[in-house]
Amino acid sequence: MAVKVAEEWLATCGGCEVTLLDLGEALLDLLPKLEFVHMPVIMDHKYYGQMGEREKLEIPEADVGLISGSVRNEENRHVAEEMRRKCKTLITVGACATYGGIPALNNLCTVADITKLVYQDTPSTDAAATPTQEIPALEERVYAVSEIVKVDIKLPGCPTTPELLAEALTCLLEGREFKLTERSVCDECPTKREKKAVTAIKRPLESVEFTPGQPLSEVRCFMEQGFLCQGPATMSGCGGSEKVTRCIKAYMPCRGCYGPIREGANPMVDMMGALSSIGLNPREIVDRAPTFNRFIGAQGRLKPGMGGR
Amino acid sequence: MSNEFEPIIIAFCCNWCSYTGADLAGVSRLQYPPNIRIIRVMCSGMVHPNLVIDALTKGADGVLICGCHHGDCHYLEGNLKAESRADAIGLMLEDFGLEPERFRLEWISASEGPKFAQVMQEMTMAIKQIGPSSFRTF
Repeated sequence: MAVKVAEEWLATCGGCEVTLLDLGEALLDLLPKLEFVHMPVIMDHKYYGQMGEREKLEIPEADVGLISGSVRNEENRHVAEEMRRKCKTLITVGACATYGGIPALNNLCTVADITKLVYQDTPSTDAAATPTQEIPALEERVYAVSEIVKVDIKLPGCPTTPELLAEALTCLLEGREFKLTERSVCDECPTKREKKAVTAIKRPLESVEFTPGQPLSEVRCFMEQGFLCQGPATMSGCGGSEKVTRCIKAYMPCRGCYGPIREGANPMVDMMGALSSIGLNPREIVDRAPTFNRFIGAQGRLKPGMGGR
Repeated sequence: MSNEFEPIIIAFCCNWCSYTGADLAGVSRLQYPPNIRIIRVMCSGMVHPNLVIDALTKGADGVLICGCHHGDCHYLEGNLKAESRADAIGLMLEDFGLEPERFRLEWISASEGPKFAQVMQEMTMAIKQIGPSSFRTF
């Protein structure tokens, strides 16, 4: 009998749903074993019944629940809670659901700041009161799903990788334990390291020094070139079977979407330490809190007033 | 028992200078407050900002890093590393809503027992004045 799967998206862009399609051939092997009972991105299935006849939000029972996106408003919270009630195993897919993701950058401001900017202060807006009817109220801050309900498996990444998603689903189907690596991006990085920075800190719009086609093993470590590569504080694994992580492979500094290497680590502290250890000046970093918490601002990592601007 | 606030202060002391300095303070029977918990490390350059922030966010009211004077480092430039990291730690205290006085970097050589006792006294006084850390739950 096929395993029933329910999928939900909260505050998210939809990239993680694309990852599911991006499974490629692995999807062909998986599909016969899965039966999607609820998935708003591809199925017309309404929370309150097709005619809106139900009084309570309802999602069908499922064995596995996939959630992408963070909890930004009350609707997100209710959906997350209903998913937990109806799914035996709950998986968060992607950085937003696991660590807050890009929406959690909102945690640098209060809800009052945000609504004031959006409904009153932007130059192209006719100032108006914040709507209160027929749209769900914003939560006080942006939460990762695990802050609202218990989550069984967490898949980081922006978006998460098809390999990781396939591995998690396969583990569940075969009854194996699913484990993430505890290695950092630097552990898998082939670039040349000399433990001394060659310049001052550079902005991301400047280009990494390399000649196209040059093997990575001959390129100087991006952080030593002055870029804020988040490798030292970020979990490895986005390269899948190729090991070398996605951004590094494209000669780009790591942006940290895979989140902390282990639970409880604080990437901002790790990064500030790593930078100053190789001789870069931490005072030159503009916006350190949002830069080093770009994908992981929930779980109390970003708070109003932080930043160092 | 008085109800006066007794801070918990962690002091990371390098094996070669500051820990020996602390030893000298003890052997010389110099008085300093019992609020200091010394952790011996091989070099001030191995005290990662993680350890300091972790200590401060998990119950310590103050943290000291003590190392050798410039030029005296047993590992040549470990203390310089500690110095540049201290700058980063100072910046981050603000992000965590902690007062800058809660962290201090000091150079104490093996022969500076009196200086060790004095720094510990100053630190304890300073922390007593600003009160318990906002992260403290006990």
